[in-house]
Amino acid sequence: MIISAHTKKTKRQEKIAKGFILAFVILTIVILAWIVIYVLFRGFYYHNEVNYDVSNIKEQRIVLNKALDPVIFIVHPKVRLDDLTMQDLRTIYTKQRKENWGHYTRQDLKVETFALDEGNVFTDTVIDFIQGPDEAINKFTTYVADPESMIEMVASTRGSIGFVPASASDKLGKRVRTVSLRRISAVVHPSVKAIVQNVQMQEITPDELKAIFKGEIRNWRQIGGIDLPIKPILPPDHSPYSVINELFLPEEAPGDAVQRTETIEDFFEIMKNSPGAIGICFYNDAAEEGEGLLIEDIRRIESGMNLTIHFLIEAPARSGAWGGISTIIINTFFLILFTLVFSTPIGVLGAIYLVEYAKQGMMVNILRLGSETLAGIPSIVFGLFGSIFFVNILGLGIGFISATLTVTMMVLPTIIRTTEEALKSVPVSLREGSLALGATRLQTIARVVIPAASPGILTGVILAVGRTVGETAVLIYTLGSNYELVRGPSSSARVLSLHLYNMFAEAISFDRTFATGAVLIFIVLLVNYSTTKMIGKMNRMAGK
Amino acid sequence: MEQNNMGQKSAALKIKVENLDLYYGDFQALKAVDMDIEENKVTALIGPSGCGKSTFIRTLNRMNDLIDGVKISGNITYDGTDIYGGYDVIELRKKIGMVFQKPNPFPMSVYDNVAYGPKTHGIKSKARLDEIVEESLRGAALWDEIKDRLHKPALGISGGQQQRLCIARVLAVEPDVVLMDEPTSALDPISTSRIEDLIDELKKDYTIVIVTHNMQQAGRISDSTSFFFEGAVIETGSTEDIFFNPKNKQTEDYISGRFG
Repeated sequence: MIISAHTKKTKRQEKIAKGFILAFVILTIVILAWIVIYVLFRGFYYHNEVNYDVSNIKEQRIVLNKALDPVIFIVHPKVRLDDLTMQDLRTIYTKQRKENWGHYTRQDLKVETFALDEGNVFTDTVIDFIQGPDEAINKFTTYVADPESMIEMVASTRGSIGFVPASASDKLGKRVRTVSLRRISAVVHPSVKAIVQNVQMQEITPDELKAIFKGEIRNWRQIGGIDLPIKPILPPDHSPYSVINELFLPEEAPGDAVQRTETIEDFFEIMKNSPGAIGICFYNDAAEEGEGLLIEDIRRIESGMNLTIHFLIEAPARSGAWGGISTIIINTFFLILFTLVFSTPIGVLGAIYLVEYAKQGMMVNILRLGSETLAGIPSIVFGLFGSIFFVNILGLGIGFISATLTVTMMVLPTIIRTTEEALKSVPVSLREGSLALGATRLQTIARVVIPAASPGILTGVILAVGRTVGETAVLIYTLGSNYELVRGPSSSARVLSLHLYNMFAEAISFDRTFATGAVLIFIVLLVNYSTTKMIGKMNRMAGK
Repeated sequence: MEQNNMGQKSAALKIKVENLDLYYGDFQALKAVDMDIEENKVTALIGPSGCGKSTFIRTLNRMNDLIDGVKISGNITYDGTDIYGGYDVIELRKKIGMVFQKPNPFPMSVYDNVAYGPKTHGIKSKARLDEIVEESLRGAALWDEIKDRLHKPALGISGGQQQRLCIARVLAVEPDVVLMDEPTSALDPISTSRIEDLIDELKKDYTIVIVTHNMQQAGRISDSTSFFFEGAVIETGSTEDIFFNPKNKQTEDYISGRFG
């Protein structure tokens, strides 16, 4: 093989250049994919660390007293509730106005509380358990006579919550949903939370809690606290505390590590006198008898599907913190629809005039320059214009019509430019062919030129849709922020991009912000995909 | 009887051009052109590139109107009527159809391409349109090849078929004269010979003016030939005379391939 030195050098240069190009291409693809995948992932899946003063141990049949039937809490099947903390249960039953499920399940639904008629030991015990020593069941609570009618009422009332004795559990069926209670807390001696040399024990994880009682962790220092030996203490091993002992008493050699107690009073007494002590008990006991002790925060990892069907079909409430985004999706489509209704005819006809009819000269050049400049102006400037001109001078007010007209102004240059290019790309021979058959200019434009240019025109329209979907700056000043369904031309509204902006700016919920972002990405993907399909079909029909 | 009648008519003058000057701005593209185009004859226009033959053929159905800055003087009469004064341009183009150099079917189905002209001129009846489409495609010798693909995109058929489709499209408007501006220059030899056969058929019913670069083609298909050079008609006469007995030196040089 004969290769000159020069050829070798050229080949090497070529290789290096190729390597560089490839590296940058890969970098770009990775960055783009990372952004889309990150937003979609966060949009679909939430994963949060939340601190509670109860652990995540769930009890479905709650034993209150060894002599009594356990109690089961039930809710209406539409309440998407799996478990409830002791404090939440108390709040729901004792708050002096009707609670909303939004705080617990993010669904905008009033809570209807039900209780059994007082007068027997079971009901009295449960009610004492719910209301605690300082509160009383609120006046909104409906009292029903027996477990059967309780199940009936809960099954037929939206947003209901009630309770039945465990003996009635076989009657529950699928008409109601049973809810677990989280009431097991960790209490610590105040010495554990002391600050020494800038070190303080923070929250504890369920695994650490288990490890402490297994004797694997013996000093608070091991889990981020101060240098203090851990003294684990358990309440007496009889009902109702047997559930705690079942979970935390180690199977082998409990003797040296875990201190056990005879009575609950004993438990709290020992707790109070043992520096470095940690004990497990029920939240209500700790709140009522654990004076001088501290309830330790327990970290819980909450994760699950963010972008659920409920999120898409429910109307938003509480600035978007509760409910879904259904009205906002519909508003978005309305804005797109009306923007297109205004901008497409004006834009397309304007472009037809510029290309087909206008005498090419000063005037057309100025128009062209104008539309090119407008296409490049930041949208916030259009927002400013819209808020002064449409909202104030024309007096249309902040609302749907002002926003639609402003967005129309904004997308018009895009539509005009792309339509112009599409019309110009229709070969002269087609126009001549039509004219030579005796067609008029208008007939030629309407029947030959526009159909031939339609894929290009459609591209412009889609670009306009894309800008409309993604537009925020213009809409802040002209559309307002009402998250209800748009009711008329002057009604303020919110679209997806605005909703995302507002939820982020007001720190409503990052999970829901990301979910909204994911929906936006999906709409854009959908629009792009269907356009590609449509243009493909048009080209196939034309035989290209 | 009919044959006789046509024979009689064939001597009749269809288009008469007198002293035609055409300017593109300051550039004179046609210089004092005189020409008689006879009915049911094929008239071929030959000459080197840029000699004005395409410009000339486009004046016959006023396609040059579309170009800015064209000035025309002189006289063109069609059936005795001045085409610039006495005719509406739409009516004129219905009577004088045109086939272009490159096949230019519209991006729609074969059927719609042929039906485009009649529809444009107000024919709405489906049955009548079907009839016209079939007649025109038969007239352009395309029907048998294409009758099963009438509703397929016209851009999907071969180049030669596309050009015959363009001829069918012109025939559908029922013209009197068909102008052809180098109709075979973009086609392969087989398609070209089909089109030439077709032209031979068509001259029974239509008057045909054809611009061609291909001397053999002019010799094969035309009845009379005009030689253009630098915007002027150098020589005009029967094809036989022009090819075998040219009077002008330039014509002889061009025919024998010494330039052009």
